[in-house]
Amino acid sequence: MFITFALITLLGALGMLLQKNVVVAGLCMVAAFFGVAGLFVLLANPVAAALQIIVYTGAIMVLVLFVIMMLNSHQEEEAQASHPVQRWLSLALLAVLALGGVKLVMGSAGLKALAEKGSTMPQAMTLEKVGTALFADHLLGFEVAGLVLLAAMIGAVALTKRNL
Amino acid sequence: MDKLASLLHTTPATAWMVAKLVIVFGGVFSLAAVWTWVERRGAAMIQDRIGPNRAALFGKIKIIGLAQPLADGIKFFFKEDLVPHDANKGLFWLAPFLALVPALMGFAVIPFGRSFVSGGQEYHLALLDPGNGMGLLYPLAIGGMAVYGVLVAAWSSNNKWAILGGMRSSATMVSYEIGMSLAVVAIFMTAGGYDPSEVIKAQGHLPWAWNIVRQPLGFIVFFACMFAETNRLPFDFAEGESEIVAGFNTEYGSMKFSLLALSEYCHMMTASALMATLYFGGWQVPFVQDPSVMLSVASFLVKMLFFAWVYVWIRWTLPRFRYDQLMHLGWKAMLPMSMVNLVFHAWRMSQGH
Amino acid sequence: MGVVVKKVELNWLDRTYVWPVMKGMGITIRHFFRQIFTPSAKRFTIQYPDMKKEMPAGYRGLHELKRFEDGAIKCVACFMCQEACPARCISIEAEEFSDLTFTQGFEEKRPAKFTIDMLRCIYCGMCEEACPKDAIWLRKDYEVAAYDRLSMQFGKWDLMNTYTEADGKERISQDPTPSVPRRTIAM
Repeated sequence: MFITFALITLLGALGMLLQKNVVVAGLCMVAAFFGVAGLFVLLANPVAAALQIIVYTGAIMVLVLFVIMMLNSHQEEEAQASHPVQRWLSLALLAVLALGGVKLVMGSAGLKALAEKGSTMPQAMTLEKVGTALFADHLLGFEVAGLVLLAAMIGAVALTKRNL
Repeated sequence: MDKLASLLHTTPATAWMVAKLVIVFGGVFSLAAVWTWVERRGAAMIQDRIGPNRAALFGKIKIIGLAQPLADGIKFFFKEDLVPHDANKGLFWLAPFLALVPALMGFAVIPFGRSFVSGGQEYHLALLDPGNGMGLLYPLAIGGMAVYGVLVAAWSSNNKWAILGGMRSSATMVSYEIGMSLAVVAIFMTAGGYDPSEVIKAQGHLPWAWNIVRQPLGFIVFFACMFAETNRLPFDFAEGESEIVAGFNTEYGSMKFSLLALSEYCHMMTASALMATLYFGGWQVPFVQDPSVMLSVASFLVKMLFFAWVYVWIRWTLPRFRYDQLMHLGWKAMLPMSMVNLVFHAWRMSQGH
Repeated sequence: MGVVVKKVELNWLDRTYVWPVMKGMGITIRHFFRQIFTPSAKRFTIQYPDMKKEMPAGYRGLHELKRFEDGAIKCVACFMCQEACPARCISIEAEEFSDLTFTQGFEEKRPAKFTIDMLRCIYCGMCEEACPKDAIWLRKDYEVAAYDRLSMQFGKWDLMNTYTEADGKERISQDPTPSVPRRTIAM
């Protein structure tokens, strides 16, 4: 199961990067989101999976595709110049980051504990738990996020509506 | 069930799962097929016509035209399968399946009967057992996926009407999803859980305790939004034959078209099952404390088919909205209404009701 | 000329949109039930191959050549219909015969061949108007079709037998009296 969803995610992401056609790339991204949702379910967090699909694939990607279709840009412009140095640099940076990430996970305390005690079936995440976590443990962050979103919304309205 | 399982060398749980799969998907699919006939026949009756009543099995048995979906299926199967010249071939093939799969999948969490215990094991009459953690978020999520079928079909057929239809319908779906979700959230709140079985249990068997009585405003919003979600007539902006030919399925023919059409009906079935579950007590039988399993399934079916009929009924009653009216209704009426509904119920709950 | 569009003031109930929708649904469901409980013979739709529309009097359908009681054709081969026909679909060949019962022993004319090309006929009824003997008339049958052009040439016997089943008459394929070879006056 894990392999399937991981493959869907990775192939989707790769397809999105390599695909010349914008709409197809968008659909590949949808596939990647779907794979990630599957991974969430495997991690005993179906709520996150559902929200991932509702928010990302159900709303955001639809809007992105909508805009792509509206602009209807079938032709891609050619890149003006290739940047070999930047490309190699970015690849090296990515490799270093990935190595660091792997090292961090391998050396983490949680993994050690898991290796010693063996895994226990984690309790499935529910909406109630998400709610408690948001309103009890991360209240400040939640409020700040709400404020930022409100500001963004007002900004969007102010930008698009010239004569209020 | 145990006997059957041992006969097939599987555990009862696996056999039950397979049986449920066949029952649910086969049932929904065939109901959707029958509903194409119901739609045509109902439309005819409403307009004082007769409708398809001549298709007969083996040229003899007419049964009021019920063989019509079968005949349609055979016809669609043998029609020439055209792909337009400049279409994106892969996506053009993929689109009908992208439309059909979410429409069928949405039904998975909905309990279509009460759970029962047999041989020391509890059997649930829903594909995903209660307590799966997804609950009613799942049909909402899958419903959100449904727009891709329309969108991909529209874009890949390389036709300006198709693209217009696809864009209109995707905008509709996104805007109505918000109002719908907020209406559902109010139900989660009052039911104290988001699992369909919890929602049904919270409603009880008395009709005046069902959510339709408790949250009529929420029901109206949810009902209207479901019409927009399923692309049915007052809001069928994906098609709109008077404006944009046939909308997103202009270029489709033969079996691919029939899959697109069937997916609409499957979606309708799922939507009516959702309405029955959320607002009409699901499998609860009015005034019966502990209904038998068959009775509960029958009750659920009656409710679901009633709403599926309401879909047909409304389609042949109301004319199509204009696009700006639709957006106006979605953002300026549906969203505030479901907000008011939500806040009102939150306030009532805080008052200790 | 301008058309005055009356603005309809909606009251609050109508502006909720829910109530008018329910009214409309009431109307449609009433039609639905009325139609479903109407026996199919009384519905507006005539289910054609099973049920046929009874044509009103004066309908101009397929022609019939009338006959006397003994089966003699009423037509006297006067060529009036052939002349009157705007589509020129009638062609007649005359012959002579002696009829003792109806024409007091005179020798009379009758058509040996009477052909109507049904593909050309426009069912205008001019032949019926023109006929001095009321021998041809257009009746209610409207199902005139065939698989080839030749069988749409209706001959004398076809035309005399078009409504035999409807009227319960006998089919005939022979004149009651033989035709007389044309005599030349002996000088």
